Amino acid sequence: LMNSPKKLPQGFHRTASSAKTQRLVSVCKMYFLDYYCDMFDYVISRRQRTKKVLEYLEEQKTLEKIPNSALNDEWYGYLQKENEVLRKRRLKPKHKDFE
Amino acid sequence: MSFLQSFHLSPGQTIRSTRGFKWNTGATQTNGPSQPETPSAHKSTRPLNGNVASPSMNPGITTTPVRQQTSFNPSSAQHVTDFNYTPSHQKPFIQQTAGTTVTTHQDIKEIVEMTLGSESVLNQAVKLPKGENENEWLAVHVVDFYNQINMLYGTITEFCSPTTCPRMIATNEYEYLWAFERGAAPVSVTAPKYVECLMRWCQDQFDDETIFPQKKDGAFPDKFVDKYVIPILRRLFRVYAHVYCHHFNEILELNLQTVLNTSFRHFCLFAEEFNLLRSSDYGPLLELVIELRDR
Ligand SMILES: [Zn+2]
Repeated sequence: LMNSPKKLPQGFHRTASSAKTQRLVSVCKMYFLDYYCDMFDYVISRRQRTKKVLEYLEEQKTLEKIPNSALNDEWYGYLQKENEVLRKRRLKPKHKDFE
Repeated sequence: MSFLQSFHLSPGQTIRSTRGFKWNTGATQTNGPSQPETPSAHKSTRPLNGNVASPSMNPGITTTPVRQQTSFNPSSAQHVTDFNYTPSHQKPFIQQTAGTTVTTHQDIKEIVEMTLGSESVLNQAVKLPKGENENEWLAVHVVDFYNQINMLYGTITEFCSPTTCPRMIATNEYEYLWAFERGAAPVSVTAPKYVECLMRWCQDQFDDETIFPQKKDGAFPDKFVDKYVIPILRRLFRVYAHVYCHHFNEILELNLQTVLNTSFRHFCLFAEEFNLLRSSDYGPLLELVIELRDR
């Protein structure tokens, strides 16, 4: 705090300690905790799903029974599904239970 | 500093995950301690102001950053809240944390606790997933950052009023103006008014299915990034700028600095990953941005 010229507006502490502000602050912190937990969960899960799909496709390739075009179709089908999941994340009404 | 330690949950309050996330309570996986996947390979070498296609001015939009150099009006100066913050004042609060690489679900709780401040975690999280449509990835993030800023600004609305902040400024050097109609001259408005207009303007675009498609087969418009993503991010940035420059002490007192820094760092890493903002867009926070990037 030594570098900061700690000027606070008049009445800051009264407002800051009000129930309303305290509630907003705690909702904000919970929002971020939830957001980052969920976001990392998504990123890691998605990476693992992709890894599995790629391993499966690689395996199928070595069997040489399935034409490459079919494997390509499978890969694009998978990406399509992931794309839909991602779009839904954007559209999902978020955090309405906080209100 | 621990992210979770900054949470003061009063008795009876619980962390409610709205999206089904469950804490991983043990059950170690086989990978052992997280191994960096490809150290240094992810380090972006793109300069902030590298060969970025100059984003076309969004038609009809509406705000203009103004550098207040010669035209600073002394009569209005006395009404300006200026706590004399500069990015260098904020440096001590941008805490550094050792790098961690997210490779498995293991330790996710630990990672969130310990390393939200760490560059490498967020650095990887902003990467486009293999095979994903870039527009979709950008769209999700634009909405996420909008929500984050809404949440952050929402906690300090009582400290950012037309009286405390009669103009939307970031330091005395930058003022952001708002144009209420397409083609109209942008005018000076209070900070809360600016933020209100900005948020509504964002929301209108999110609700427009020709810009942010909602249906399964809905496509993004041409030049989605230049015409929509970049203009939105450039304006959302200004809320960070105002908060850092004029409400940082309140943020500190409310113990929200970890949250603010995490959000802003994430925003910068994302913008850098996809070359979305130029140095000039960072205006008053350029010093802070460079500090974050070079760590
Ligand atoms: Zn303000």
